[in-house]
Order: sequence, then C-alpha cells, then structure tokens
Amino acid sequence: MTTKATDTPKECNEFQQELPNFFDTGEDQVEHPHLKTCENCSALVRDLEYIAAQAKLLLPIHDPSPAVWENIHSALLKKS
Amino acid sequence: MNDTKYDSNSLLRKGGTHIDSKMKNTLRTTETMAHTAPAEPLTAEARPIQQHQRRNPPIAGELAAIAQAQQGDGASFEILYNMHKRRVYSLCLRMLGNVAEAEDLTQEAFLQLHRKISTFRGDSAFSTWLHRMAVNVVLMHLRKKGLPLVSLEETLEPTQEDGPRKDFGTRDLALSGSIDRVTLERAVEELPPGYRMVFVLHDVEGYEHNEIAVMLGCSIGNSKSQLHKARMRLRSLLRQKADGRADA
Ligand SMILES: [Zn+2]
Repeated sequence: MTTKATDTPKECNEFQQELPNFFDTGEDQVEHPHLKTCENCSALVRDLEYIAAQAKLLLPIHDPSPAVWENIHSALLKKS
Repeated sequence: MNDTKYDSNSLLRKGGTHIDSKMKNTLRTTETMAHTAPAEPLTAEARPIQQHQRRNPPIAGELAAIAQAQQGDGASFEILYNMHKRRVYSLCLRMLGNVAEAEDLTQEAFLQLHRKISTFRGDSAFSTWLHRMAVNVVLMHLRKKGLPLVSLEETLEPTQEDGPRKDFGTRDLALSGSIDRVTLERAVEELPPGYRMVFVLHDVEGYEHNEIAVMLGCSIGNSKSQLHKARMRLRSLLRQKADGRADA
C-alpha cells in the first residue's frame, strides 16, 4: 500500500462518479485530464478497459447436450 | 423482501457450469474452430456494422441452408442448428448460469426459429437476428418467473466495492495480462444476475446500451451504471483470484 486509508480525494470521487459516462464513447477508451495526474484512477481505468477488451474475446465454448437436438427434432416431427 | 428476491435470483446460478481445467483444452480447440469460416457477403450494405454483427461473421454455407430451411427442408434446418447451437447455448448459459435452463431455452429458441425462419429477410445478419430471438426467449422466461431483470438492490445500494477506490498501491496495479479467459469466464459466473445480464449483453455480445435498455425495459443510464458496476465487481473478483494465485 502506498496510499493511506484516508478518504478518497475529492477529484477522484468526482471522476469515478462520472466514469460510467466516460466509457460510452464506443471505443471503451477513457481520456480525461484527471488521469494525467492520478495513478490510482489511471489504474482503475486501465483495468476496466482491459476487462471490457477481454470480454470481447470470450468465445462460445459450451455445447448443448445431444438431447437438445433430439427434443427439437421430435417436436418438429410431431408438428408435421 | 428484497432479500427473498435476491435469493431467488441467485438460485439461478446454482448448478451452473464451471469451466474446469479439463475444458481449457476444449477452449483452445474451439477458439481455432469457431467462426473462422470464410466470410460470405450477406448484403452489400453501406451502413456501419454493429458490434454484435462484427463479432458474429457469416458462416460459409449459411445462406444456402437458410434458403432451403425457409422452404421447409429439415436437413437444412439441422445444418443451421449445428452452425449456431454453440453460440446460442453459450449465450443462454451466460445469461442464466444454469445448464438445465440454458438447454431448455436453447431448445425453445430453435423451435421459435423454426416457426419464424420464413420471415427472415436478410436485413441483418442471420446470427444477429437469431441471437436477438434467443435473448428475448431468455428474458421472457425470466419475466415469467417474476425475476427482476435489473436488480433494484444492486442499483440502489452500491456495495463498498462499487464505490470509489483508493485502497491499492502501485505495486499491484496492473490487472492487464494477468487473467486468462477461463478465469474471466468463471468470474462472470459469479456476478449477481442483474450485473451479469448487462455485462454479457454489452461486453460479450456487443449490444449497445440503447438496445439493452429496450430489451430489459430500463433506462440507458441504468444500463450504463449496471455495466459499470459489473465491471467493477469483476475487477475485484479478478483481483481476488489473482491474489489467491499469488498466495498459493
Ligand atoms: Zn483519482
């Protein structure tokens, strides 16, 4: 820990309150003057950008069991 | 009362799958297999391609299968099922966190596809159209169960970890590079259902906040704040996991 567990600085509070809106530029890249001076908030933003970027890479990895197609198939047979 | 709601909500996650190390191998294989088929132009469109569409490129042979399935050809419908089952099922599973429900709703989504496929006109990519149908099936199911899609207590009572942070030093700042997909997938499973819903729809599936707001019946601001809280929660879950690994 390099920071003391005191109250969050006011500027950080304000910045973090507004953060959800800063992310809405479509690029998920936040640019803000506060980040030039605050290492904590910069780290926060980097992490959140990283999480958003990693989420895009989450590929579908689960397959439904064969029973799902069997059920669909028999439902379709009944119908026709 | 809120507690009851929350509990019934989190019940959804009970019995959810976990991706264990066994599946890591599957992950690698499917990564190379999934959606690497050469792109087949659906429509020569000038309008910007939505994120969702970009993440779901057309699959070779899909157009022909759609055309034949629209004529009632069962074999072509089965081809479409096999092309899209993994994607649809994964979407259901991520939204629900429960294997049995995800399979039921995958089934329901494809039955609905069968009923409606003749109405597909190619205005959007087929996968976009189908996934939207699957999302609606899941949301309908949750509404029927009386579960709030956007959880109130999650909105009104931010926990400490959702608030401003200052309690970490520079030595362990970077999460970047420290998480693999399996870890992230597992952390997503641990999100409260309301957070998970918005996170999966926006960050994983690529829907925009305005689309999500319509789907969930909430405001755009609400969707944004839920997403932000979801990412904050994930960050803290991932940090815990990273710490756990470091301690081990
Ligand atoms: Zn700051």
